[in-house]
Formats: sequence, C-alpha cells, structure tokens
Amino acid sequence: MNRASRTTVSTLLIALALAFLSPIYLMLVNSFKDRAELYRSALALPSSYSFQYYSKAMDKMNFLTAFGNSLYITIVSVLFVVVLASMTAWMLVRTDDRLSRIIFLVFVSTMLIPFQTLMMPLMQVMDWIRTTLHIPMLNTRGGLIYMNIGFHASMAVFLFHGFIKSVPVALEEAATLDGCSKFGVFWRIVFPMLKTITITVAILDVIAMWNDYLLPSLTLSDKALRTIPLSTFYFFGEFTIQWNLAMAGLTLTIIPVVVFYMFAQKYIIKGIAAGAVK
Amino acid sequence: MKLVKNVSVLLTATAVVGMLAACGNSNDNNNAGASGTAGASGSASATGTASAAPEKLKKISLFQSKVEIAEPLEKLADTYKKETGNEVEVWGSAGDAYMTQLQAKLAAGEGPTIFSVGTGAEAEKLKSYYADLSNEPFAKNIAPDMALKDGDKIVGVPYGVEGFGLVYNKSLIDPKDVKDVDALTKALEKFKAEGKNGLSLSQEAYFLIGHIINTPFALQADPTGFIDKLNKGEVKMADTKEFQEFAKVMEAIRANAVNPMEVKYDSQMGDFATGKTAMVHQGNWSYGMLKDYGDLGFDIGMMALPIAGNDKIAVGVASNWVVNNKADADQVKAASAFLNWMLTSDAGKNAIVNEFKFIPAMTNIDAGDLDPLSQTVFEATKAGNTIPWALNYFPQGIIVNDLAPAAQQFFLSKDMTGEQFLQNLDKAWANGAK
Amino acid sequence: MSKNNKGWFALFTAPLLLVFTTVVILPFIIGIGYSFVSWDGIPANPKVFVGLDNYATLLQDERFLSSAWRTIEFTVLALVLVNVLGLAISLLVTMKLRVSNAARTMFFLPNLIGGLILGYIWQFIFTDVFKFLGDKTGLDSVFFNWLIHPQTALYAMVIVFTWQMAGYTMIIYIAGIQGIPDELGEAARVDGANLWQRLTRIVFPLLMPSFTICLFLTLSGAFKIFDVNLSLTKGGPNNSTELFAMNIFNEIFGYGNYGLGQAKAIVFFILVAAVTLTQVVITKKKEVQY
Repeated sequence: MNRASRTTVSTLLIALALAFLSPIYLMLVNSFKDRAELYRSALALPSSYSFQYYSKAMDKMNFLTAFGNSLYITIVSVLFVVVLASMTAWMLVRTDDRLSRIIFLVFVSTMLIPFQTLMMPLMQVMDWIRTTLHIPMLNTRGGLIYMNIGFHASMAVFLFHGFIKSVPVALEEAATLDGCSKFGVFWRIVFPMLKTITITVAILDVIAMWNDYLLPSLTLSDKALRTIPLSTFYFFGEFTIQWNLAMAGLTLTIIPVVVFYMFAQKYIIKGIAAGAVK
Repeated sequence: MKLVKNVSVLLTATAVVGMLAACGNSNDNNNAGASGTAGASGSASATGTASAAPEKLKKISLFQSKVEIAEPLEKLADTYKKETGNEVEVWGSAGDAYMTQLQAKLAAGEGPTIFSVGTGAEAEKLKSYYADLSNEPFAKNIAPDMALKDGDKIVGVPYGVEGFGLVYNKSLIDPKDVKDVDALTKALEKFKAEGKNGLSLSQEAYFLIGHIINTPFALQADPTGFIDKLNKGEVKMADTKEFQEFAKVMEAIRANAVNPMEVKYDSQMGDFATGKTAMVHQGNWSYGMLKDYGDLGFDIGMMALPIAGNDKIAVGVASNWVVNNKADADQVKAASAFLNWMLTSDAGKNAIVNEFKFIPAMTNIDAGDLDPLSQTVFEATKAGNTIPWALNYFPQGIIVNDLAPAAQQFFLSKDMTGEQFLQNLDKAWANGAK
Repeated sequence: MSKNNKGWFALFTAPLLLVFTTVVILPFIIGIGYSFVSWDGIPANPKVFVGLDNYATLLQDERFLSSAWRTIEFTVLALVLVNVLGLAISLLVTMKLRVSNAARTMFFLPNLIGGLILGYIWQFIFTDVFKFLGDKTGLDSVFFNWLIHPQTALYAMVIVFTWQMAGYTMIIYIAGIQGIPDELGEAARVDGANLWQRLTRIVFPLLMPSFTICLFLTLSGAFKIFDVNLSLTKGGPNNSTELFAMNIFNEIFGYGNYGLGQAKAIVFFILVAAVTLTQVVITKKKEVQY
C-alpha cells in the first residue's frame, strides 16, 4: 500500500474509533457535573474539573476493599477457567468419540440459556451443597469463584476447542513416542502453543467477571465482600441515578480493565511476532 | 517423564477447586438459617458501653429496597453497635433489583433477618415469612391503620408515609383556579399558548400511569372491593364516572402538554425546577431532586388531582419492615430488639426523621424539619384529609406490564379517544389480573 | 479408548465437568421440572403440579409469541452488523498501520462498559442528542427520539448491541487473522491477486474457525440480551421491544408466574439450540484444516 492510501485508511480508522468512543465522552464529562449543570447541558464540557465526585464515589464505594475483592475473585476465577477449560477442550478434541462430541455439544448449547432462568434453581443447589456437604457456597468469595468457573466454562471450552483443532497433532504424537505422559504432552507441548487463544479467553473472562453485577449480587451479601460493581449500588435509586457519582464510579471500575487489556494486547502481538503460534 | 509429580500438581489443582468454597468460612456467621455461632467477634469489640445492653444478641442482617437510605442505615447500625454491642449487617441492592435478590436469597436459605416489603400485593406474596410483632413494645406506637397486618397480627412496621398529587409552582398557578377537570384543561391550554408545559408526567411506568390512575380508584366508595370486581370482570373502568374524568385529564395532557414519552423523571424535575413546567404529578420524594437545583426562586406546593370533585392528595405507606420467621429464634429476638431500638431510642428516631427523611408513621416520633412537600403530606395525614393508595392492591406487576404499555399507546397515537383508552385499560387489566 | 486413556480423559475433564454440572446443568434440569409446576417463585409458597398447562398457556400468549419474533428480528440484524463491523475493524487494525494499536484499544473500550449505565448513556443519545441533531441539521426524519417508535427502538437496541459486541468479535477475528501465515498473502500478491481476491480466496476460508466462534457468540449473546433491553427501552413502547429474556424475566419476577416463565425458557431454548447447533455444524464443516 502506498503512503497516501495508508494515511486515508488511518484517518478513517481513527474517525470511526472516535465515533465509537462518543458515549464514553458522555461518561467522562458528566462525571464532573452536578445535577443542575447536567440538566442544562449533558453534551458540553464541564464548567470545572474538580475530582470531588471521584473521591466521594471512592469513599462511598469503599473502593480499596472492593478493588481487592474484585481483583482476587477475578484473578483466581480466570486462572481456573483457563487451566481447566484448556485441559478439557484438548481432551475433547483429541478423543474423537461420541461421548466427547456429546459433552462438547452440551457445553455449547448451555451458552444459550438466559441466566435469569437459572438463578433460582442455582440458589437452591448451592443451598443444598451447604446443608448436606457443609461447604458454604453463598456469601463467600470461594463460592462465587466456583460459580464463575461454572458459568464461564462453556465459552472457554468452545474457544479452546476451535483453536486446538488447528494445532498439528504430529508434535504431540512425537512427544508421546518419546515417553511423555498425556499430562506432559499437554503442559509441555500443547499449552504453550495456545498462547494467543489463552490470552483472548483471559481478556474476555476478566472483563465479564470484573463487570458482573447480577451473579455477585445474588451470592455476596456482606459489605466486606462487595466487588466494585456491587458497591456502586448506592448511586442507583429506583427512579433516578446520582449521575456524577455513578459515572465516576464507572470510570473507576473500568480503568483497571483498560490497563489490563492494553498490557495483554501487547503480549498477544509479541507472541505472534515471536512465532509462538506456528 | 515425571508423571507422579505432574499428577500431584493436577490433583492439587482439582482439590483446590473443591476446597475453594471453604476459604470464606468465616464470613458465614450472620445469615438466617446458617449455623454460625453467636458473633464472638462482636462481644470482643463491645468496648465498655455494655451498660445499655446487658444481653449479647446474635448478629443479624437487614435488607431493604430504598437505596436512598442505605448509607444512613449503615451509619445507624454502627451507632447501634456502639450503644449496645450488637451487630446488624446492612445489605445493599441497586434500584429495582431488590425483589429479585430477595427472592434468590430466600431460595438459597440465606434470607435476611429483617427485610422490607411493599404494602399490598408484594406483602401478601411474602406473608409466610413474617414473624408476629404484635407483642413487641413498638407495636403500640404504630399510627392507626398504618401497621402491616396478617389477620389480627401485626407483622410489619411502616417506613413512614408518602404522598403524591400535583406538585406545582406557586408563582405560575393557584390551586383555586384548577378545582375541576374543565378548569384544569383551560389552564393547560393557557400554558400551552404561553409556551410552557402545564402538567408533566414522565415515561417511567409509575409516573406515567401508576400514580395518576390511583385517584379514580381511591375515589370509589370501596376501592379494594372495586379492584376485586374489576379482577372478576364485573365492572369496567370505561363505565365508571371517575375514570371517565380521569380519561379527560389524560386527553388534556396529550393535547396540551409535552408528550410524557419524551420526558424522563430527571428532565421532568429539571424542567419544573427551572420554571418551564407549572405542575408535575409527583410525590414528596421528588423534593430530593429539586434541592439539587439550589434556590428555585419560587415556592412549591402539592395539591389534589381535581377529578370528580377530589380535593385530597393520596397518602400511603410504601414499604414496611418485617422480621423473617425462618431465621432462628435468637435472630428473631435480636431483630425485634433492633427494631425496637430504632423506633424508640433518640438516635434511631433522629435517623428516621432527619437522615432517612421519612414522614413518621409512629405516634412516638415527631416529624422533624420537613421540606414543603412532606409538610403538606404530613398535615393532610394528621387532618385525615387524604385518599388511600389503592394501587398497592392492584394485581402484582400490572402497572409495569399492562397499564404502562396501554398508556404508552395512548400517548403515541394522536386519535385514540379517552373512551378507547379506558377500553384498552380494561383489556390490559383483564390480562394482568388473570 | 484404552483403559489408560479413559483414566486420562476423566482426569482432564472431570474437574471442570463437576463444577459445570453443579452450577449450570443441575439448575437447568431443576428448571425443567419447574416448568410443570404452578408457583409464584417465593420458596415458602406452595408449588402445584399442573402437567403441561404452562406449555399450553404459552402457546396462546400473544405477547410471548411476538416477543419471540422480535428477538429473531433483533438477532438477525445484530448478527450481520456485529460481524461485518468486527471483521472490517479487525482487518483494518491488523494492517500494521501506525495507529493500529491505539485503534484496537479504542474499539475495544465499549466492551468494558457493562451493565445498566451503558443503556442510560445511550438513552440520552437517542432521545436528547438525536433531537438536538434533528433541530440543528433539519434532518428530523432521521434524527428524532428513536426510542418511542417500535421499529426504531429495536434498531436502537441493535446499534447499542453492535457497539458493544463489535470490539469483542474484533479480538477473536484478530486472533484468527494473526494465525494466518504471512507468506500465504505474500505469495498471492506476487501471483497478482488483488485485495478482494486475497480476502475471499485466502483470508476468509482460513478464518472459518473464527467465523464459527464469532457467529455463535453473537447469536447466543443476542438471543439472551437483557441488560441493554432493560436499561434502554424497558421493553417499550407498548411492549414492542420486549425481547425474549426480558419477557421471561417479567413473567417470573413481574407477574410471579415462575412455572410459566420456565416453560417459556425451555421452549425457546429448544428452538434456539436447534437453529444454532445447525449453524455450528454447518460452519464447522466448512473449516479448512491446515
């Protein structure tokens, strides 16, 4: 491509990206306005850039505790999802029989069930686990992590499954002949080749879990356990919202994920450049 | 290959999944039905103020629907702990997610010890959970007819009373000029000619139809009896005089005011605060929004929706505190103790009036420094000059699911007559009541 | 499978299957059971077995049927828009332009704003900003309050969903595109293939796995859409944008007809599963193994 068309494409791309970001502009500018100013004009730049709503939002949300909870829950859940789902998907791909096809289809089809129809029975199952096995599933971080793994299993298996199919079997066979166990084959040969998809799954799951409101709201009750999205509830009344605090709270919520994404994205590109995939 | 080692790594990983759930054990001592021990940590932290409470009570949880009081309630729980050494964990939920969360938590056997229920259909639905509060010391202080009852038993304490009607700008309109539907219609026409919005509803289901349709119901001789008949299809709104007048008001709004479908609660109150709207059909709660605009430059008041000779605002109890009878006996006892403290101690009474900003429905609590709208509601209540909240007795979910869509249709079609609107409402009612 | 392999199979899959079964499968089966019951969703209240009554009722529920149709309409529109846009963006940002990295992040940002507030921000755009634009530009046949007309309100939801999901599919397409060896494109270029030929003959066939994944993810996301629906239109005006998940939610938590809501969920699940699994099977067959 010549330089002129490169510039045109670049300009178009940035214009489109800016259009994409316009709602985020609204979020940012309105996190600095009081109700009267917001009413006068939501589009305009704020009359002053005082971070009072940010510090108020952080204070009300008990931000550091909530941040710690979110971080812990998200990281542990994602680690488990990535490890368990990649192992499962690999077995399902490499074992080409009816059972693994059925298991795969079950994973995939459950992605179509709206969460709203599962939540009441889910609560009952968790209650049953608590009363019969004496494992406290509700109002504990561990319980939420357990449910996170279950709910994100399908998509992760689906993504890994699709990717593993394009990984050549020859290497694995060679390693097996060399006396590698299945476990060794997977962790030494296969998993390193799944870098791109692993990071993709991690990104998607981190976002989903970090932002999740509904599941944590059902399982965590205590103030000390609240995640970041849960602790923004103070700003959402039944009919009206404290816009400035809600927008500031939202901005605070997404900053860590943006940082994570930019970091992870670089890693994907590096991985590609180093020829780790092929 | 190091098979043994690798397998052990995997098994550890698997085992950790199984045990993960056990990590948070210590957080589980506060729930109804959970077999936690009486808060040992609580007794340790009762620092010398034990004189108020010789008895150590079990930790309880409290879950309620009104986001606006969440923070003051947490503070009140802190004060309670300081004064008595007993603990109350306050849970939170955003906006309209409360009922869903409550239902899920009850299903999980993790229900809160104290929770709130809306008066009417919602309270009826959950009544198998209520502990009998009839013999609690605070029960006798509940204002007449305000207690939530199951048969003869008192099972719930009112949050407070709330009222709605036409909130108006005193510099733009005089209540004397809008005593009936014709006068109201003329006033709206006049405002339209001046480029002002005479009477604003807004697009949220309750503010579009739920509250304003309460008036023709409340004006029936026996509102709940009328609702029963309507449920059975024995009467029709279209054949009832009060509803016909109500429909005229709705026609006048459609003809002369800004389309409510274009108005949100936020912009409704913004337009009112800046003098662009003369009247809004709203409740005393909306003052919380107006005060964010600082000095309005005019006085405000609340008057009756003048249909069929009505001159009263609608006052009722929106929510009630109830105690979960599925919690263990010690928690029920601790819950009653907390309610009693909240409703009789100075700290509790002060919080209800000045922090929650409730208009108290207890004879032993004086109203505080009320805002003008709450003042009107309070005085009307004292004088008995009110109509009831019949909408509490509507079939569950009907306002959002059936009446609001019918109202949306009315406001979006130019040529639907008031009579057709009432027929649609009758149809919607039949659907929602089945 | 040899005995040894069976053991490995179990070892690799059992942990996840255990969690998955307790969290998803078991609740789903219990849910199927509830679809034969009349219950208001309050645990302490009676559950009455009513056989197939709920299924009979839903067949006559016009609101449910029209909601199902609207969901299909929404899904088809969203499916096309999300994937065309996601694919186009991913092709553009993998062209090794100087702005590529920045653009990637910018397109991905909307995905991070979950939940209700996103709907409220867009509500403001479709009502206030659109009216403002209409007044300023005179194009009030395009820029009016989109949320108060049944058809445009549905389009508004498609736009918001696309805005959210395009960045999501972009990531997956990028992963796919970067898996295609550069030499293939170079070789074709040397052979004189133009851009379009290189795309349709080389890139797209090799992207089939990504297509499968993205189509399916968009499909399942669109069928289940709830947050955007609730915060943007609440199903209005006049229930015209009440999509499937919201219809069920209203039945269960609005009316308190738990069993009927579950029956609706089961019926819709069966229909959707039949359609999408067919889709997965078809596109899987077209995937190129290389």
